[in-house]
Amino acid sequence: MNNLQRVQPPVFPVEKVLIPEAKFFSLSNGVPVYLIEAGTEDIMRIEFIFKAGLIREDLPLLASTCNMMLSEGSKNYSSEELNRLLDYYGIFLNQSAEKDSAGIVLFFLNKHIEKVLELSREILFHPVFPEPELNSLMKKRLRWYLVNREKVQTLAIDQFFESLFGKNHPYGHQVIESDFENLTPSFLSDFHRRNYTTRNMAVIISGKINNRTAELLDLIFANIGSGGTDKEDNSNLMRGEKIKKVHINKPGTVQTSVRIGSTTINKRHSDYPGLKVLDSILGGYFGSRLMKNIREEKGYTYGISSSISSLDLSGYKVISTEVSNKNCQKTIDEILKEIKVLQNVPVKKEEMAVVRNYMSGEMLRMFDGPFALAESFRSAWEFGLDNSYYHRLAEKIKTITPDEIIELARTYYKIDDLYEITVGSE
Amino acid sequence: MIDYERFVLENGLKVLVHKDKSTPLIAMNILYDVGSRDEDPSMTGLAHLFEHLMFGGSKNIPDYDTPLQLVGGENNAFTNNDITNYYMTVPSENIETGFWLESDRMLELDFSMKNLNTQKNVVTEEFNQRYLNQPYGDAILKLRPLAYKVHPYRWPTIGMDMAHIKNTDLEQVKSFFFSHYAPNNAIIALTGNIDYDLAFKLSQKWFGPIEKRTVQSRNLPSEPEQTEESILSIERDVPSSAIYKVWHIGPRNSQDFYTLDLVTDLLAGGESGRLHTNLVRGKKLFSEINAYLTADIDPGLIIVQGKLMKGVDLQQAHESIKEVIDSLKNENGIEEDMEKVKNKFESSTVFSNTSILNKAANLSFCELLGNAGIINTEVETYRNVSRKMVVEAVERYFISSNSSTVNYLSTRKER
Repeated sequence: MNNLQRVQPPVFPVEKVLIPEAKFFSLSNGVPVYLIEAGTEDIMRIEFIFKAGLIREDLPLLASTCNMMLSEGSKNYSSEELNRLLDYYGIFLNQSAEKDSAGIVLFFLNKHIEKVLELSREILFHPVFPEPELNSLMKKRLRWYLVNREKVQTLAIDQFFESLFGKNHPYGHQVIESDFENLTPSFLSDFHRRNYTTRNMAVIISGKINNRTAELLDLIFANIGSGGTDKEDNSNLMRGEKIKKVHINKPGTVQTSVRIGSTTINKRHSDYPGLKVLDSILGGYFGSRLMKNIREEKGYTYGISSSISSLDLSGYKVISTEVSNKNCQKTIDEILKEIKVLQNVPVKKEEMAVVRNYMSGEMLRMFDGPFALAESFRSAWEFGLDNSYYHRLAEKIKTITPDEIIELARTYYKIDDLYEITVGSE
Repeated sequence: MIDYERFVLENGLKVLVHKDKSTPLIAMNILYDVGSRDEDPSMTGLAHLFEHLMFGGSKNIPDYDTPLQLVGGENNAFTNNDITNYYMTVPSENIETGFWLESDRMLELDFSMKNLNTQKNVVTEEFNQRYLNQPYGDAILKLRPLAYKVHPYRWPTIGMDMAHIKNTDLEQVKSFFFSHYAPNNAIIALTGNIDYDLAFKLSQKWFGPIEKRTVQSRNLPSEPEQTEESILSIERDVPSSAIYKVWHIGPRNSQDFYTLDLVTDLLAGGESGRLHTNLVRGKKLFSEINAYLTADIDPGLIIVQGKLMKGVDLQQAHESIKEVIDSLKNENGIEEDMEKVKNKFESSTVFSNTSILNKAANLSFCELLGNAGIINTEVETYRNVSRKMVVEAVERYFISSNSSTVNYLSTRKER
């Protein structure tokens, strides 16, 4: 026993990820439903998604406020009754409005399926947007907003989106204090009537699915009429700001928040899987070059990362970090240096092996369990893609060459295209 | 119900195994029974700094992360007052690499000056990012020394003074390692796609040869009973004033802990919690309010914290919190409320145990409390809390001489 050789045990290739296909059917009113059977516990996750995100709003805060007000009172229940019932049945309700879509997600023990669907219908299709609740919510939101605007991270990311997508586009528009006074119940019901419709809706269900689910869904949701309008395309307004470097002075802060990036292709583009690999090498995991250089080698920061994200009408990549004010410029120089290295020097075999295997393991994690499965399904489905997107990604992780990476870095990381946002004290 | 097997190696290392074949992954959690409470008051933050050093290479492995990434693994760690906890998930076929990595750093770290200096900077930036560069970030730093006078919980895990971190030298680091990092001071949990036999064989192979060490005995000063309310008011340039209020409670391993956990859920569990319903929605005194237990092993704290709405009188806010807490002693709707939070507790336990990582961390922590089986009885213990127990706990713990308060006052003109 004591002569054990402490060397790395054999490394086995990570097995191919098995992605279960979602079962598809439509309610009699045409609403698409996707069922993903998975997991060992008697629990379910249901997500109702609508094309009701920020992209649909004519007034700042409209989409998010409409979403938050869904549970603030309905035809048959007051907000207090709704919240009590959800808690009583041990149901977890998440509401969210993102740039493109909005909706609700519920997590629950599958024996409560009927109650969950009944309450979901109230929340989604019969909200009444009471004025006192709206006023109270807007006052609270203003307080949260004021606190968030104290954070250098918030200021940096808000400015980053404005710089990339333009002040006037819903993707880039920044909220200001007076926006919290402009919403009325009728704006909300109007937004709701146009966007929370069966035509704009999809349902994703995962877990150990109660066998009455399909029947109950049809019973509870099929008689809700369609409607809704197609909002005109906002993409013609999307225009990045001319000024690439923006510094916001925030006196008294000890760290500067840095965001560097630009718009880029989204998931629908065939180069996207390759770009994911490039992004991982640069800053997508703990062993990435930015993390190794700026945290583990220089100790300038607690964390630095890069990511790429897809939007319906665009996509963006961003490098994010918080560094001490005095090391800010040095950090930016190193970030740009790392990008240039990726454009000019082929990634060595050893590093390729690490990133390939790390990402293959990551793919197992992306499909492990009913919640992860639903989220991964959704993030492809939203772009009109199916599991073949993930199979292409898995294939690209295994086969991408160092030359392809240089090519991608030259095409998608042009230094002159990059915006550089810094927020901190000068 | 989480089935598990348990065995103890000759060197004292405890191992727990839970098989879940529905996943292609295995989670490995290693808990070391050392936290910031074990630090010398003149060298606080060392346990957490040490957690950072654990990734800087060990006796036979120059770099911890790369070999793990090479087999598709992912890992992280956290330190708190009581424990230092390391965890990873790895594709099941490569679990042996996990054993190799974890056993090597239990065997002996590579104590390098360069790594120590870099991680001192990283931890300083972490301190800046979490506590100094966030609105209200320093509230907790003020609260601890107010509530605790002698027990080491009086300082935060990151350290009470960054000078302590800066002054740490390599000798102190080494001695900390050998007095706390030992097979007989650790608990391993393996969950996911792993058989008991393999888990046993690999534990024996990689950890078996590490010798038992003399672990520094724990002789912590116990906090004397508080006899007088303490209040600290501080002024800061923040948008709204805030209140942080704490009361001392008993140790983690007591029925009262579960009773008070239920009490904080009645107060602040979900949108229908009483503090939220009455003070955010009803009286509109707060923009947000929360209540929770610190869940420390030694006697911990109940924390109630909230941010005030514009123009709200501080005294009125304090009195309203007290009224809501006192309402728990009345008959009115309490039985129904208790049933509600018990249901919610049960469902959140089921959700938490769908993740192999959570299961591994929970099993290890329950074992540290004395019995890994606690993971399966917590729901029942919580369900058994009666109305009488709630009333008694409220009367016993929520008294002003047992409380400390930080009034975090905004210096800005109201807007």
